[in-house]
Amino acid sequence: MGVSTLILVVLALAAAGYIAGRMKAKAMERAGARPHSRSGFHAAHVMNWVLLPSLAVIVLIVIARPIIVDNAVRAEFPAELRQDETQSNLIAGMVSQIAGGLTLLDEGEREQVRVGLVPLRPLLAEKGVALGGADIEPFMVRAADTLNGLNSTFSGALWLLTILAAVIGGALGWLQIKPEMRARNRVETVIKGVLIAASAIAILTTVGIVFSMLSESLRFFSMVSPVNFFFGSTWDPRFAAADSTGDEGGQYGLLPLLWGTAYISIIALIIAVPIGLFSAIYMAEYASKRVRGIVKPIIEVLAGIPTIVYGFFALVTVGPIIRDAVAVPLGLGSSGSSVMTAGVVMGIMIIPFISSLSDDIINAVPQSLRDGSYGLGATKSETVRQVVLPAALPGIVGAVLLAASRAIGETMIVVLAAGVATRISLNPFQEMTTITVKIVSQLTGDTEFTSPQVLVAFALGLTLFVVTLGLNIYALHIVRKYREQYD
Amino acid sequence: MKDGDGALMGDTKVSATNVNVYYGEAHAIKDVSVEIGDKAVTAFIGPSGCGKSTFLRCINRMNDTIDICRVTGSILLEGEDINAKSVDPVQLRARVGMVFQKPNPFPKSIYDNVAYGPKIHGMATNKPDLDAIVESCLRKAALWDEVKDRLDKPGTGLSGGQQQRLCIARAIATSPEVLLMDEPCSALDPIATARVEELIDELRDSFAIVIVTHSMQQAARVSQKTAFFHLGVMVEYDDTDKIFTNPSDKRTQDYITGRFG
Ligand SMILES: Nc1ncnc2c1ncn2[C@@H]1O[C@H](COP(=O)(O)OP(=O)(O)OP(=O)(O)O)[C@@H](O)[C@H]1O
Ligand SMILES: [Mg+2]
Repeated sequence: MGVSTLILVVLALAAAGYIAGRMKAKAMERAGARPHSRSGFHAAHVMNWVLLPSLAVIVLIVIARPIIVDNAVRAEFPAELRQDETQSNLIAGMVSQIAGGLTLLDEGEREQVRVGLVPLRPLLAEKGVALGGADIEPFMVRAADTLNGLNSTFSGALWLLTILAAVIGGALGWLQIKPEMRARNRVETVIKGVLIAASAIAILTTVGIVFSMLSESLRFFSMVSPVNFFFGSTWDPRFAAADSTGDEGGQYGLLPLLWGTAYISIIALIIAVPIGLFSAIYMAEYASKRVRGIVKPIIEVLAGIPTIVYGFFALVTVGPIIRDAVAVPLGLGSSGSSVMTAGVVMGIMIIPFISSLSDDIINAVPQSLRDGSYGLGATKSETVRQVVLPAALPGIVGAVLLAASRAIGETMIVVLAAGVATRISLNPFQEMTTITVKIVSQLTGDTEFTSPQVLVAFALGLTLFVVTLGLNIYALHIVRKYREQYD
Repeated sequence: MKDGDGALMGDTKVSATNVNVYYGEAHAIKDVSVEIGDKAVTAFIGPSGCGKSTFLRCINRMNDTIDICRVTGSILLEGEDINAKSVDPVQLRARVGMVFQKPNPFPKSIYDNVAYGPKIHGMATNKPDLDAIVESCLRKAALWDEVKDRLDKPGTGLSGGQQQRLCIARAIATSPEVLLMDEPCSALDPIATARVEELIDELRDSFAIVIVTHSMQQAARVSQKTAFFHLGVMVEYDDTDKIFTNPSDKRTQDYITGRFG
């Protein structure tokens, strides 16, 4: 029986604790006491006393178990094998296979295997377990035995200790029920703790992501100098030779990618900001409730379209139109993939972000401000221009910055619509590419995670992360400042 | 109460007949007819929720901005129906100014708050003119001394009572013919209140003023005519002296003597 069954048992015990606690608290109330907390809180308090210790035991054992078992197994390995980490890892994998196989045998067969009477491999093959890799040596069988033994000990201990913790905890909690016990405050504390734990997990994940990127980036920067990366104007990673670890083997100039990213994002914003903002103003200030109820969801549907679909749209429709109608007649380019195509389509993609966020922000401008302006004889457009927009401006800037960080992180549209050529050029009808696209192309393929060709992806990712994080923080800062104005 | 008020009073400025206001299904104003005199102060009193603000907002068509609000009946400003198709509410509101019940300064500087109206109506051609308007309006609203050193600071940073005076200054900056004041002194201390009442008295020489107030003393002090509203109905409308000394309706009597409301 696995951990999930155990958790179900613990939950059942918790429910029992809840009911028992409730009954006692109710009885107390009936007896005429005026308890500090309502019976529900007492019940929840008992439940917490069941849950918290037992879940703590489960977590502890589940975390500690593989570490202890692994150590014990490796203790069986010959000393010279323990020196070689790669080899020990292989053997450890083998041992766990053997251990799995051993559980399929009956006790007699196992004994025969242990003393070496019967070879293990054919025996297990008979049972349908194919052992791969190296020859089986006696110490592996011993190690596998240790593994199985420890595992079953641990399973038993897990159940025993958990249920013990649940029952003792529940009993202690139940005994604490007294009229003056501040169950409500304690339950609130536990709720707060659970909420804090949830947000801690979210934050720790982010930190973990950053650190993994950071450590890989540092490896990259130990091979390629940061100066060449951040200020290099040529992107030419070349293909990694088979054993190219430590060999530079290419140039990793960030600037062309940064330029492509910025250029495409700027075109996207030039398109999306006016359209998004004007449609937001229309929806918030001019449209009737009915029209708004129809238009707003339609615009928001745009936000739900997967970006790959926008990519098709760019590739099949927008790209050829821009090429045939503008680029070729002007002699500026002959490719359907271009900065312009990607920028236009990306602009279309971020319109709903800008319009929907700005619409909310404009709506949050208090009606009393509009009334004040109308009351002075201002027209609708005067009111919008001179009162509503200035009041909403910080929030709108925040919305635009959020949209910008979307644009900067966007990949699919660029892959399909902007091409893969790296270039620093002002002509928007040429192919260019962005940081995200290069991350994808450096990580796909079967190069090893030790060559700079692959590691550069982490450095790029980190750069992108820092840029968008900066934008987001700035946006949030502005949005927050804006909120304070009316509270 | 001032003596000889009747003598000072001019002709009818605003004349409302059988005005009904509905918020969706709710009937907020029931068949109200009233004549508001020019160069006089008219006070609206009545218990909370009786429709004073709603009726006030009919006079400059601010109810147009509320989707669910429907107004019937006729309101004439100098004999012209303000609800007629030919009347532009924007122009109407330039003539009929309003100070709202809740102070609502724009999130702009104090100066720009007051200059807002004059700017959009092109009342000042150059900066010195505008400066003069701003200063005189802030002085009239008894705010100048407190803000003269911080005219470029946001109006939203003022205290509640200062904001209320700022909104008064803002409203009189457009030199309206009719000034609607919805509880303009609700957040003011006695000194500022006295100053605003002086202002009202001053403005009375040139404008028609309608003031909503919950203070009987204030109504008695500043107004020549008083209308008592109750549950959307205008119960009584008469000379202020008469209302406060010898009301003809029992409900008015009960309200001004504090027996309900
Ligand atoms: N925007 C609105 N939508 C729906 N009903 C409204 C609206 N404004 C006012 N009402 C209703 O109309 C009635 C009159 O409201 P009004 O604001 O005119 O009262 P009032 O006399 O000004 O009260 P107070 O002295 O509290 O300001 C109230 O019953 C109110 O609930
Ligand atoms: Mg009111």
